[in-house]
Amino acid sequence: MPLETVAPNSQAARAGKYLTFGLGREYYGVPVLKVREIIRLCDITPVPQMPDYVKGVINLRGKIIPVADLRVKFRLANTLNTDLTCIIVMQVSLPDSSSTLMGLIVDAVEEVINITAADIEPPPDFGTALDADYILGMAKVKGTVKTLLDIDRVVIAVNVNEEHAVLA
Amino acid sequence: MPKSNEIPVKLLADRLTKLALELNFVEPGKDAGLLPINCFISEIEDALRGQPAPVELAQAVRQARQWLDKLFDTTVAFDASTIAQLGEWQPWMASAIECWQNQQPAPSLPPSWGGAGAGAATDQTMPGSAISSPAASSAAIPGPADGAELALILNLESDQDLLREFINESQEHLQNIENGVLVLEENPKDADTLNSIFRAFHTFKGGSGFLNLTAIKNLAHELESLLDAARQHKLVIDSAIIDLILDGGDTLKQFVAEISVQLGGHDAGQEILVPTRRLIERVKAVLSGDANASSPAHPDTVAQATPSAETPELRAAGNVPGPTALEARGIAESAAGAAVAAAPPPLIPSGQQTKQGASSVPPGNGAGFVKVDTVKLDALIDLVGELVIAESMVVQDPEIITVQSRNLARNLAQLRRVTSELQRTAMALRMVPVRSTFQKMTRVVRDLAAKQHKQVQLILSGEDTELDRNIVEELSDPLVHMMRNAVDHGVETPAARKARGKPELGAVHLRAFHQGGNIVVQIQDDGNGLNKERLLAKAREKGIIKPTDNLSEKEICDLIFAPGFSTAEQVTDISGRGVGMDVVRRNIEKLRGKVEIDTVTGQGTTFTIYLPLTLAIIDGMIVSVGGERFIIPTLSVRESFRPKPETISTVHERGEMVNVRGRLSPLLRLHQYFDQPPKVTDPAQGIIIVVESGAQTRCLMVDELLGKQEVVIKSLGGALKKNAALAGGAVLGDGRVGLILNVDALVKLSATPGLVAA
Repeated sequence: MPLETVAPNSQAARAGKYLTFGLGREYYGVPVLKVREIIRLCDITPVPQMPDYVKGVINLRGKIIPVADLRVKFRLANTLNTDLTCIIVMQVSLPDSSSTLMGLIVDAVEEVINITAADIEPPPDFGTALDADYILGMAKVKGTVKTLLDIDRVVIAVNVNEEHAVLA
Repeated sequence: MPKSNEIPVKLLADRLTKLALELNFVEPGKDAGLLPINCFISEIEDALRGQPAPVELAQAVRQARQWLDKLFDTTVAFDASTIAQLGEWQPWMASAIECWQNQQPAPSLPPSWGGAGAGAATDQTMPGSAISSPAASSAAIPGPADGAELALILNLESDQDLLREFINESQEHLQNIENGVLVLEENPKDADTLNSIFRAFHTFKGGSGFLNLTAIKNLAHELESLLDAARQHKLVIDSAIIDLILDGGDTLKQFVAEISVQLGGHDAGQEILVPTRRLIERVKAVLSGDANASSPAHPDTVAQATPSAETPELRAAGNVPGPTALEARGIAESAAGAAVAAAPPPLIPSGQQTKQGASSVPPGNGAGFVKVDTVKLDALIDLVGELVIAESMVVQDPEIITVQSRNLARNLAQLRRVTSELQRTAMALRMVPVRSTFQKMTRVVRDLAAKQHKQVQLILSGEDTELDRNIVEELSDPLVHMMRNAVDHGVETPAARKARGKPELGAVHLRAFHQGGNIVVQIQDDGNGLNKERLLAKAREKGIIKPTDNLSEKEICDLIFAPGFSTAEQVTDISGRGVGMDVVRRNIEKLRGKVEIDTVTGQGTTFTIYLPLTLAIIDGMIVSVGGERFIIPTLSVRESFRPKPETISTVHERGEMVNVRGRLSPLLRLHQYFDQPPKVTDPAQGIIIVVESGAQTRCLMVDELLGKQEVVIKSLGGALKKNAALAGGAVLGDGRVGLILNVDALVKLSATPGLVAA
């Protein structure tokens, strides 16, 4: 297995299994080990005074978990829900090294694929146009490019923005 | 005599004076003062050691030690004869020391004290002793090597439950100690580990002190001091000290094993004798900075292990209980005796095997306790909650409702019964009675009353009331503080009480009971009540209120909860420990409870604490704002009504106020605050809910009242907890999430201008 032999740095370390999903016309991937389950879009209770992409909370078999809409988070144009829209429940690590469950709304879940180190390129430098901190790398799979996300950092960004929202 | 003599004489005289002081307070049948007296006598013993003191002095000290040892061996309360003897002993010692100082021959020993020979056992444990009394040491030869060890006799009859709890807790602490030691071996300075071991010993001390397990308490106390020194970097942990801690843990474990054997019904009422004296002396040596003491002590541990295995010699003799032990046991003995007789004889063929048996018998906690990870427990409670929701969804399903089947109805009713029973059981898993916390208060009150020369009786009721375990634990500190207050500030001195025509014996009631879905804990003293003028004066002086403020009676009483407020004229060791009533209130609010004061001048003060049954469930009022449902904890809701238009007035056309029966209270439109499109914008069409936090009230405007329900409160998850206005979420009957409002935060937030408009 490539996971055991690769050096623990750079793009090589990022090789492994990813769950890919679509957001608008783009494709993204998250490490499959962090995915807990995928559920259909359900009734979300909005939480006041949260950033716009935090849609609220849901009841996941008795546990209350927050849900963020990645389409809003990444400022994508189309945020209409369809039959394929679903929530990926992920285990995310918070900065204080605790971990929690969080739901992410995506347009459609694709598949689980194995991405080798050779297929991963570092995130391009967009300059100031785009904050690419939470991008692990770009994977070239079957002619398409998928953006690999560091989900923990996406969530850190949620927290930081949240503080601004409360203070504002 | 040369100079070297002067210091001990001074010290001796000092100790004797203190001892005389303690003796004044000693009463037959109580153990107050026993430990200090024991300590003073030990110090006198130490001071005399190596001094060319007259032989009579040494004999007298030995005699006193013997009296005390007799007390420790039998019960741990004073009896009248010992008090009389000590009362006689003290002046004799004083005069003897005086004679010694003036180089006169010592007065002869009173004949009633009997021969001093039997007390000579101490010699053996004090190898350095210069007291040479040939008669004494020869008499000691057949005596036990650990003659001065304290024996434990359990009061199985009355303390059984407490002992069981003590044992259960102890297992955990012992584990902590062992785990901690492993960490310390790697990293001797690890502050967390030092603290956790310290706490473990500290809890041992507290628990054993409460149960009168003096030998355990003494040992735990020394070990605690050892860890405390390490914590404060006065002591560097080396391998010798780690050995010492481990030995301490092992000794405590031995005690625990013995106690659990007795709780299991074997050897009930037997003395428990585990040698602790050597260990205590080693710890003391380390603490006094005697570096050699710990290392040569090491082989001593091995040596000690042998005597401890041999102490059964003592026990063998003790199997036929000594006369002193017999007196003390009273009625418990007959039952215990029967148990011993019923046990198969091979179990106790000799003392030695009993000892072996003690460690090989599995710990006697099979009496029905399982330690469960709280995470698992919470998961179970979550799932049960979901089951209840699923059940009601099935029962209320429109298709099912249309089915006219008696069989189905019966089955559904059965399902409902089982689920609600299951829910009740799941909730009860977290509940424990407040008994042990209440009983600790007896001690607090007794010690404090003695210290302040007041006569106070604590009357407990409702100790079996059950509360969430977390609440019971968190309740302990505020309760201790409030009990202290009740005795310190509440109950007057006997003289003052007499002058006011009250009985000299003050009464403090501590009650727990259910009231409307809450648990109420009440502390009532029959003292003089709160002095409102003094409260006001003090608050003005400290700038907590303005001189012009006009406060209601309730607000005046609430002043004592203000931070930095203390009416105690002087900071004693009782008041002014940095834990004020503000902390008490904050702790109770953290538990989602509230405190109320009720005071009648001249007749006393009542503190009433309202607490939720469990931390997991709150009684909530469900309201709708816009399309969303919110839950307001019923405990903070004072009333709700539909206002008449004329009761609402505005300032600058923005700040709205509601006139609630003559008192103006700010209006907070929840829909504005939560940015929800509301169904109604006219307050006269909506509902006003008056909430209170402390003495402050706010009127929350909502669209509708939907009902009242008990909900299981849940955290909104780490990623969302920054919104102070929300206390959490709850899964409502239809499976959706409702948000629970944090009223305290709402009141504070809406007090800061700007946020309401945001």
